[in-house]
Amino acid sequence: MNDKNIMESHMGTTAIKISARDVQVYYGDNHAIKDVSIDIEDKTVTAFIGPSGCGKSTFLRCLNRMNDTIDICKVTGEILIDDEDIYDRRVDPVQLRAKVGMVFQKPNPFPKSIYDNVAYGPRIHGHAQNKADLDDIVERALRRGAIWNEVKDRLQSPGTGLSGGQQQRLCIARAVATEPEVLLMDEPCSALDPIATAQVEELIDELRQSFSVVIVTHSMQQAARVSQKTAFFHLGNMVEYGETGQIFTTPQDPRTESYITGRIG
Amino acid sequence: MTDAIQKPEKKKSSLLLLDARTRTRNAAEKRFKAYGMIAVAFGLLMLSILVFNIVTRGAGAYQQTFIALEVELLAGKLDKKGNRDVDDLKKVSTFGYTPLLSNALEAKVTELGIKTDLKAKKMVGILSKSAAAQVRDYVLNNPNKIGETIGFEFLASSRVDGYLKGRVSRDSIGNDKNISPAQLDLVDALKAEGFLAKRFNMSFITGSDASDARPEAAGMGTSMIGSFFMMLVVLVLALPIGVAASIYLEEFAPKNWITDIIEVNISNLAAVPSIVFGILGLAMFINYMHLPNSAPLVGGLVLTLMTLPTIIISTRASLKAVPPSIRDAALGVGASKMQSVFHHVLPLAAPGILTGTIIGLAQALGETAPLLLIGMVGFIASNPPDSIATGLLSPNSAMPAQVYEWAKRADPAFYERAWGGIIILLVFLVTMNTIAVILRRRFERRW
Amino acid sequence: MSTTSLLVIAILILATLGYFLAGKRAISTAGGDRRKLHSLPVYYGSNAAMFTAIPALGVLLIWLLAQPMLVERNVLSTIPDKFIPEGSSIGLVMSDVRRVADGLEVVVSTGILSQNETLKLDTEQTDIRALLAGVGAAVGSDVQPEVLEAAQNYRAQTKMGQLWMVLIVAPLALFGFALSVLAAKPTFRARNTVERGILALLVLAASLAILTTIGIVFSMLFESINFFKLHPWTDFFFGGLWAPNFRGDSDLSILPLLWGTIYISIIALIVAVPVGLFAAIYLSEYAGPRVRAFAKPLLEILAGIPTIVYGLFALLTVGPALVRVFGRGEEGLLGVEWMSGATAVLTAGLVMGIMLIPFVSSLSDDIINAVPQSLRDGSLGLGATPSETIRQVVLPAALPGIVGAVLLAASRAIGETMIVVLGAGAIAKFSANPLEAMTTITTRIVSQLTGDTDFASPETLVAFALGLTLFVLTLGLNVIALYIVRKYREQYD
Repeated sequence: MNDKNIMESHMGTTAIKISARDVQVYYGDNHAIKDVSIDIEDKTVTAFIGPSGCGKSTFLRCLNRMNDTIDICKVTGEILIDDEDIYDRRVDPVQLRAKVGMVFQKPNPFPKSIYDNVAYGPRIHGHAQNKADLDDIVERALRRGAIWNEVKDRLQSPGTGLSGGQQQRLCIARAVATEPEVLLMDEPCSALDPIATAQVEELIDELRQSFSVVIVTHSMQQAARVSQKTAFFHLGNMVEYGETGQIFTTPQDPRTESYITGRIG
Repeated sequence: MTDAIQKPEKKKSSLLLLDARTRTRNAAEKRFKAYGMIAVAFGLLMLSILVFNIVTRGAGAYQQTFIALEVELLAGKLDKKGNRDVDDLKKVSTFGYTPLLSNALEAKVTELGIKTDLKAKKMVGILSKSAAAQVRDYVLNNPNKIGETIGFEFLASSRVDGYLKGRVSRDSIGNDKNISPAQLDLVDALKAEGFLAKRFNMSFITGSDASDARPEAAGMGTSMIGSFFMMLVVLVLALPIGVAASIYLEEFAPKNWITDIIEVNISNLAAVPSIVFGILGLAMFINYMHLPNSAPLVGGLVLTLMTLPTIIISTRASLKAVPPSIRDAALGVGASKMQSVFHHVLPLAAPGILTGTIIGLAQALGETAPLLLIGMVGFIASNPPDSIATGLLSPNSAMPAQVYEWAKRADPAFYERAWGGIIILLVFLVTMNTIAVILRRRFERRW
Repeated sequence: MSTTSLLVIAILILATLGYFLAGKRAISTAGGDRRKLHSLPVYYGSNAAMFTAIPALGVLLIWLLAQPMLVERNVLSTIPDKFIPEGSSIGLVMSDVRRVADGLEVVVSTGILSQNETLKLDTEQTDIRALLAGVGAAVGSDVQPEVLEAAQNYRAQTKMGQLWMVLIVAPLALFGFALSVLAAKPTFRARNTVERGILALLVLAASLAILTTIGIVFSMLFESINFFKLHPWTDFFFGGLWAPNFRGDSDLSILPLLWGTIYISIIALIVAVPVGLFAAIYLSEYAGPRVRAFAKPLLEILAGIPTIVYGLFALLTVGPALVRVFGRGEEGLLGVEWMSGATAVLTAGLVMGIMLIPFVSSLSDDIINAVPQSLRDGSLGLGATPSETIRQVVLPAALPGIVGAVLLAASRAIGETMIVVLGAGAIAKFSANPLEAMTTITTRIVSQLTGDTDFASPETLVAFALGLTLFVLTLGLNVIALYIVRKYREQYD
């Protein structure tokens, strides 16, 4: 079902959800991200690919200001979400992260029950009026995470007791529970076995109907399977950005071609 | 495939506006952070109050009031037979020297033209009770000086000292038998003429403890020696035994239940209250082995047992820090396991072991509770020991125990000395810890 | 010089001799060529020294430790039961016997009487008590003939024991000497033997830990059993009063002391746990590296200050300050008379709390840092503030460790002596008023063992029972703390 997406391009025009201009990121003296400008579309899966250390995760973490937690990291440039600069002084990262969710490389469920894991986000942001509301939100999120049927009878059991793939889907459910508009995924399948990977990839395709998904991936095949737009990063620069099909069949930049054909990795 | 559930429509909110809930949460965040800062500040405040207390209250002990007097050593009173024979001179007790002091005071008073109603005997009350002994000691050591007038510096009595330090005031003396307003007048007069003043008191650091009636003469010297001998015992015993045990546990011990029990024991012993070690010392070393009571040897043995777990834990950490490649290299050229440990691993771990030992010794220096039980308190040792054997076996006190003893005497003059003793103790501790840190910085290797 | 010291010196000299002889012999039996030897000559020498000295010294040590016990037991059995006077015990009689025996030894060594003359002493003709007093040996009452006889018996047995000791230890050393020197030949694997010997010494050093624990338990157990023979254990554990009395009909119950101990510890924890925990949270989650580098070592200083300093601080600073607030009637800050003296539960509790702050703080710091960063990232990624992350994710994850830290701090508070001796007072009572003085287990141990009471009386022996209870209590807390931490640690590994 997903194979069809490789050659299909989007139907119609889609709005730009995230717009980045001349973004630089410094880790101390190290210039990690150089002059990145990109427009990420809404209701689309955008993949960031590139060799190790090229800066794709770093750039991803700029989109929800997770780099703020690192003292030596400095970000300059403009990143607009819905035409609002997220690095504006008036923006509180706390509110931003309710709008931009994140799923990490290694599944990191809290040592709490499955219910509490998913309910955590809505609780702190005050999205539920009462317990019944919260139950609804949790159920909706778990369904979105394609894990409801497996856990609906044991919502109180610890989240850490699930298998690797289930844990990651739980983390996805947790991330979507706050009804974000953008979902960032940092190599979500790299710690999972092939079956779990397939389940998560299926999930991503459904998620794109409701959110903008930006996924960093090490695997070109996964990018090809899952995304509609792809950006290739190399040594801190964003080298090429375009329709996934076009990037993988007719790359414009020689560096992109080298990476695709496996000459660099 | 998953079921789709109808998502209720949400209003789009602007990121540039902080909604009310976020504001509340941020306020809670600020409060939480403030609690943390307050906690740290509280701890640091307590530290500074403690240090301030120690310094201000203890500094007084290093200054003592002295009175300068010229005493005529009347041959008639001291050496009735006239032959300057020391054995005969010894027969005159300190009581016999008191008239000399009262004469000296009377003479001084007349010389300076001080008006006082005090009789000579009462005047002597402003001197320390140890003044007579001081003159006597001088005479016994210098019998040829009898008949001359010698200048002495006598300690003032503790009430006079307290008067000069502000502890004692005319209002507070009340019914105090040891001092009277007339005596204070005399003190003021002598002070104005320059014959009575506070000055640095070396004998606090070098002298020995004194009886209840003479807090002005009490010093830390002999208890420092007691502490020194105890630390010697701890160093000589705990270091080799601790290093030996650590080497065994770290390099040679097989992973079986016996080793487990040993390790569990060590971590338990590290957490046993110090007073239990005191009970052990009392029961085993004093009652069973009949070692002498209050001896630094016994104190050292008890403290060795207490310090052993600390030294073992830090030595093991140092041994663990040496990378396995060093051991492998030694074995590779044909050294036996024991040779690789003693020739290679141990020297490389030595700085860490040394640091740990110094820190362990510093902890042992400050221990008081076990010493109370083996009797190293309440003893007034008057002379420094003359050999290592006597030093180890003759009854003595230790610095922290001496401080405790002074605190128990419920006399503000002794309290001052207790704080002063603490200053000395802390100086030792700070020095030892600083040496340990410097050693660590200088010799630590980062593998 | 005593026999023992002479013996030890002789053994050491022999060992040194053996070291040199064996080394030389090894080389000579190899025809002068060192390379033919299995091990370096120094190992042959060490082997000789080892075999000479260690078995002999070991046996000597064991003999020295065991002999007094055996002699006492023998002499004890010869004393008729009906001899023991009213209100006394066999222990008291034995200590008298010992004192007389030791005193007589001094009499002989100072030359007042010859050995033969001491053996002929008779209680009817000589005032033994005065004789002993003359050499500085104080005996409580006039020496009874039975006691004198037992003392002579004691001296005789001790002398016999010493003789046997020399007869056994000296030949042992010589035997080891001869054997090891003769064995110094090229084919003898000296290094292996020596290394095995060293290993044995290492094992011995390591087992000292077990021996210490056994020593602690047994020394207290033994005397506690003696105590419980004189005083019913039900009263000790369940009675309600602590009132030692020289006449002998004391009320000796641990409960009031336990109450004082626990009350003070609770106050200490109320101070130390919040402050220590929040300080740790701030320093590890919020503070920049400069603040951390400055504040952390300073807080550690609080941990290194000896408890006697805290005790003095309690007695002379905190106590009077509290009295100024809570006491002194009209002159006080609050104008009340609730607090009469400087020593009180609150005084000791506050100061103990201050002492425990760095303890709790550094333990908590370790525990908080052990929580993986990925959990924090997950929480922050969901839009939680750092305080929410700490409160709702980090602390619950670290909870077992923190509970363990609190238990360890409680154990430390319960076993603390100097602060309570100086700051808490000597009155045993069951009161809920923190401004009153209340004594603790540790304080009473000190007072009962440093008083003038006779050692074998229940008033003194109770200290051992108290010590044993304290040991078990703190051990129990430590074990539970370790168990909790270990059991729940797998949660997020």
